[in-house]
Amino acid sequence: MENSITKSKRTKEIDINKPKFTVKEFKRQWILVAISAVYVVYGIIFYYLPLVGWIMAFQNFVYAKGLTGSKWVGLQKFKFLFSDKTFLMVIRNTFAMGVLNLVFSTIVAIAFAILLNEVKNRFFKKSIQTISYLPHFLSWIIVVAIVHDALTSTGIINEILTSLGILKAPYAFLGDPKLFWGIVTFSHLWKETGWNAIIYLAAITSIDPCLYESASIDGAGRFQKMRYVTLPGLRPTIMILLLMNMGNVLNAGFELQYLLGNGLVQNVSRTIDIYILDWALDARNLDYSLGTAAGIFKTVVSMTFIVVSNYIAKKKGDERLF
Amino acid sequence: MKTKKIVSLILSSMLAVSSLAACSTGTPAGSGDPSGSDTPAVTGDGKEIVDFTMFAAMAGKEKNEGNDIMELIAEKTGVRVKETWLTGQSAGEAIGSIIASGKLPDLIDGGDGSVTLYENGLLVAWDDYLEKYPNLKEMYTEEEWDKFRMDDGHIYWANVFGNSYDHNTATGHNGEAFWIQVRVLEWANYPKIQTLDEYFKLLEDYAAANPELPDGTPVIPYTCLCEDWKYYCLENAPMFLDGYPNDGCVIVNIDEGMDKPKVVDYNTTDTAKMYFKKLNEEYAKGAIDPDFATQTYDEYIAKLSTGRVLGLCDQYWDFAYNIMGPFASPLEATDGTTFRLDELGCDYVPLGLTAKPGMSQQWHSYDDELNQSSGCAVTTSCKDPDLAFAFLNALLDQDIHDLRFWGIEGVDYLVDDQGLYYRTEEMRENWKSDSYKAKHTCEYSYCPQWAGMSKDGINRMQPAEQPSEFIEGLAAPLRKCFEAYGVGTYSEFLGSEIVVNAPWYPLWSWSNNISSDTPGGIAWKKMGETKHLWLPTVVMSNDFESDWASYQAAYAECDPQAFLDEAQAEVNKRLETAKSYGWTAPV
Amino acid sequence: MADIQGVSYEKIKHKRRMATEDIIFTIFNTIFLVLFAVITLYPVLNTLAYSFNDGNDAVRGHIYLLPRKWSLKSYHEIFFERPGIRVGAKITILRTILGTITSLAANALLSFILSRKKFLFKSGLSLFWIITMYASGGMIPVLILFRYLHLTSSFWVYIIPGMVSAFNVMVMRTYMAGIPDSLEEAAQLEGAGYMRVFWSIITPLCKPVYATIALFVAVYHWNSWFDAMLYNRFDPQYTTLQYELMKLLDSVSASTGATSGASMTAANANTITPITVRAAATIATMAPIIALYPFLQRYFVTGLTIGGVKE
Repeated sequence: MENSITKSKRTKEIDINKPKFTVKEFKRQWILVAISAVYVVYGIIFYYLPLVGWIMAFQNFVYAKGLTGSKWVGLQKFKFLFSDKTFLMVIRNTFAMGVLNLVFSTIVAIAFAILLNEVKNRFFKKSIQTISYLPHFLSWIIVVAIVHDALTSTGIINEILTSLGILKAPYAFLGDPKLFWGIVTFSHLWKETGWNAIIYLAAITSIDPCLYESASIDGAGRFQKMRYVTLPGLRPTIMILLLMNMGNVLNAGFELQYLLGNGLVQNVSRTIDIYILDWALDARNLDYSLGTAAGIFKTVVSMTFIVVSNYIAKKKGDERLF
Repeated sequence: MKTKKIVSLILSSMLAVSSLAACSTGTPAGSGDPSGSDTPAVTGDGKEIVDFTMFAAMAGKEKNEGNDIMELIAEKTGVRVKETWLTGQSAGEAIGSIIASGKLPDLIDGGDGSVTLYENGLLVAWDDYLEKYPNLKEMYTEEEWDKFRMDDGHIYWANVFGNSYDHNTATGHNGEAFWIQVRVLEWANYPKIQTLDEYFKLLEDYAAANPELPDGTPVIPYTCLCEDWKYYCLENAPMFLDGYPNDGCVIVNIDEGMDKPKVVDYNTTDTAKMYFKKLNEEYAKGAIDPDFATQTYDEYIAKLSTGRVLGLCDQYWDFAYNIMGPFASPLEATDGTTFRLDELGCDYVPLGLTAKPGMSQQWHSYDDELNQSSGCAVTTSCKDPDLAFAFLNALLDQDIHDLRFWGIEGVDYLVDDQGLYYRTEEMRENWKSDSYKAKHTCEYSYCPQWAGMSKDGINRMQPAEQPSEFIEGLAAPLRKCFEAYGVGTYSEFLGSEIVVNAPWYPLWSWSNNISSDTPGGIAWKKMGETKHLWLPTVVMSNDFESDWASYQAAYAECDPQAFLDEAQAEVNKRLETAKSYGWTAPV
Repeated sequence: MADIQGVSYEKIKHKRRMATEDIIFTIFNTIFLVLFAVITLYPVLNTLAYSFNDGNDAVRGHIYLLPRKWSLKSYHEIFFERPGIRVGAKITILRTILGTITSLAANALLSFILSRKKFLFKSGLSLFWIITMYASGGMIPVLILFRYLHLTSSFWVYIIPGMVSAFNVMVMRTYMAGIPDSLEEAAQLEGAGYMRVFWSIITPLCKPVYATIALFVAVYHWNSWFDAMLYNRFDPQYTTLQYELMKLLDSVSASTGATSGASMTAANANTITPITVRAAATIATMAPIIALYPFLQRYFVTGLTIGGVKE
């Protein structure tokens, strides 16, 4: 009986599953190849053709003149970006918030999924799960309004802390740059944990119950079962999601940071997307070239992360993206 | 199980295909309007009604199909316009995506993106049509029209706001001021308040004597909004305090005469330091809302609408309309009685504070302000530009103009025996309701319009400026306050110096559109970022002097001189243009 | 097999200690989950409270779990005052159903291909699709492309471009790869081709992940408004529910722009939507999804026995 635990041990040995490039194999798989060709065409049309637009990043793009008519400026836009202290600061912010979000949301979502899985009562389990993903459907506008309100000087948090004596006077949480990243991470967790956990819950259901039974027979307790059955069973899913989300670290967001930010915390709150909105999408001076240049930068960084992490995963014998 | 799946798949695809067939045969699904009204397809004289689309790069509310007044206007003019507004995007993104999608509306107000539209050759020039359509030509003088000319010498849009027919009849003060609740003045027996010191002292004293509203909510002496571009509430007071008008980005000093204007940076003046130092002191005393620096616009309005805030610095349009509703709603006091905030005296009146007592000030601008940076335009996608301009022209006919802003006679307003228009309480309530407006009213609010006197010479173009409407709308304490000071309107109350606007005024019409590919434009952006961070910081600081010094250092790093140089150039340019029309410096 | 004779005292003690540990764990787990549920439920209840509150009263804030001044006006305004919403609802329902079916099928098929260990181009094709997740030409090139493909001003722009999503494909691929090879081999020995394997073997076993992806895609379609605005801005017959609701929500004051702010008059300045209408719009959009979810949930919560195959 195959399962993920034994599989990862086996790939160090002879990999009989490695594809063999022979004509015979080709004929055997012809239908797979044929269908994938269709997908490739589709992908080229809808995803790769627009990449031609990257030329804009090297021009002073004016819509009326189009790609062929706009003036070529080479790396000027990129130079502007990287010589701007603000842009570098903004990269730092986006990266920091992205990493924090990735780490915490993964851990908390997995923990939640596992804990929820331990619940025996089906009704309780179902209701908790349904409740947990509800905030996902609320827009950031609403969630931020609540978070913001709770953190004002007359908000709930200050009320509780002052009545407990932990604080002597209300504290201006929203104006403290040191706390901003934490507030952002918490808001993400609040809103998305339930939703993120759905994938893990679905993955847990695919773990063979026999494994749990045999673990019980071997005398494993609850926590040991979690460590030796559940987590390894989740490992491929965790790795894949982790890999994919690593590429998204620089997409750490726009709406949340935009709504939660203010003048006092602007040095830590502004993300790459907010910067682009400010400098490239200002109606008086639409600079698509600058926006595209920043987009290319983000793609390059994302792909680098992905390739490197994928390589590490491959070496460790883990599930990998490609 | 498998057959079930296949069957359901087939069924749903059939459903999809048939619905799509319905969609694509061109019957706009929305016209299955259960309200039943058959939208007429012809005008009164049998011509077919043309449908135009319009986009405005501003927030707004769409009208329902079959809207009463829209249909009336369509019958008279032969044109019906479906307006769409900016949602969930910035103006830049919207204009950009509209241009790229290749689908332009027939009419457009590009807002901040108007120049982009022009640069992409997407707008129709007004010049020839101005000669053909007198109402449009009448909107501005030759000199004013010339301000709209772009580099190629043509006019591509006309700004529709702040344009008074005959003379300016504004009853209110729509601009910036230090506002104070009427009950505070009443409590102090209507004193004369001229300086920041007097203002804050009064706020503090009143708050000490009356720390709560009847329903128990604690009072906030002063607050200030700092969110995004609305931080001007905090930022540009020094300009006014020195007695200058709202040029928005700089002070234009005319000590050497109006033909030798000099641009001065109001962020580094002594008055600026004095103002922020005062705020810093008040903050330390607890007289300023501790959340002022981080509050969102919604929270700000929420605070104001509870009537707790005694004083603030802002522009009228930014807050006043949003608190009118809550101020007129009955509330419950702790002792069980009901009270209304406007009857309590929570309405705000403007104070024109100055750096030193006895100085003249120009918080209020009496003339119209021309903003030539954006306006209503016709796009090259419009299949019948002549009809579009004819329509815009017709919108300025008095009867249609009245339909737009006053409504239908008998339904939305009544006429007394002297020919004056007036409204009942019910009519006024209707015009505050979003759903009534969606069904019934049709202002075409970004198309050409007038303020000021109506062409009939008796009424006003806009109901808000009609004296009877204005006075009826005042609550008792407000009326009492005006009487106590011997004035009749907000502008009289403010008592700003009556000045003819300078040729370069308002300079914010230039700085709002400054592009970031000039050194001055970049400097302006960076100055804004710096101020966003430092201004609240110095107000809340424990060591004002050192923080102020740090702020000034950071500010200097932005190279403000580049901006000031460009501002000076613009002022000179506008002066030269005015001179070419025969303007001379008043003695 | 439990050895009844050899049950030692240690084993019984061990089992009893496990039982007490179990109970303690269950108690703490339950408390924690309930707390979690309460915290995550709060924003929803708060929104619900606002949606049933009177507009003018709500502006004053401080509404928590219950409305202060009950009013159904906000819902009335959304459902009855805005005929455009009905078109939006129709289009949204249509695209959700059609889009979910096509997307699920398209993604599943690709995942299946990529999960076949012997597939010759596995690595290359995976990379091809991974890149699409992170490299985008940007909003404008995509718009121009769609224009040339005649997808703008059309319903199909909602269905065709988004059919294959690399993220969903990777999730499903992982799941499918976890299904034992023995099943596939057994079927192939009996002469089944790849498509047969996909349809009869893999698909039935993929119910949890299919349900998951179906949920993701359905929610995406249900909530989408941005594509309606970008591609069908001037074609109100293709508007979506969320787009109509978004138009009612005026919260982002930043969009007003500095140029027009100073010239606002009472006529157009009074356009800030009450927070109650925003709340009602949110609840109205959430409700159908919440109603749908229990039907999909049984695929997540009940276990799945792969153990039906004798090894």
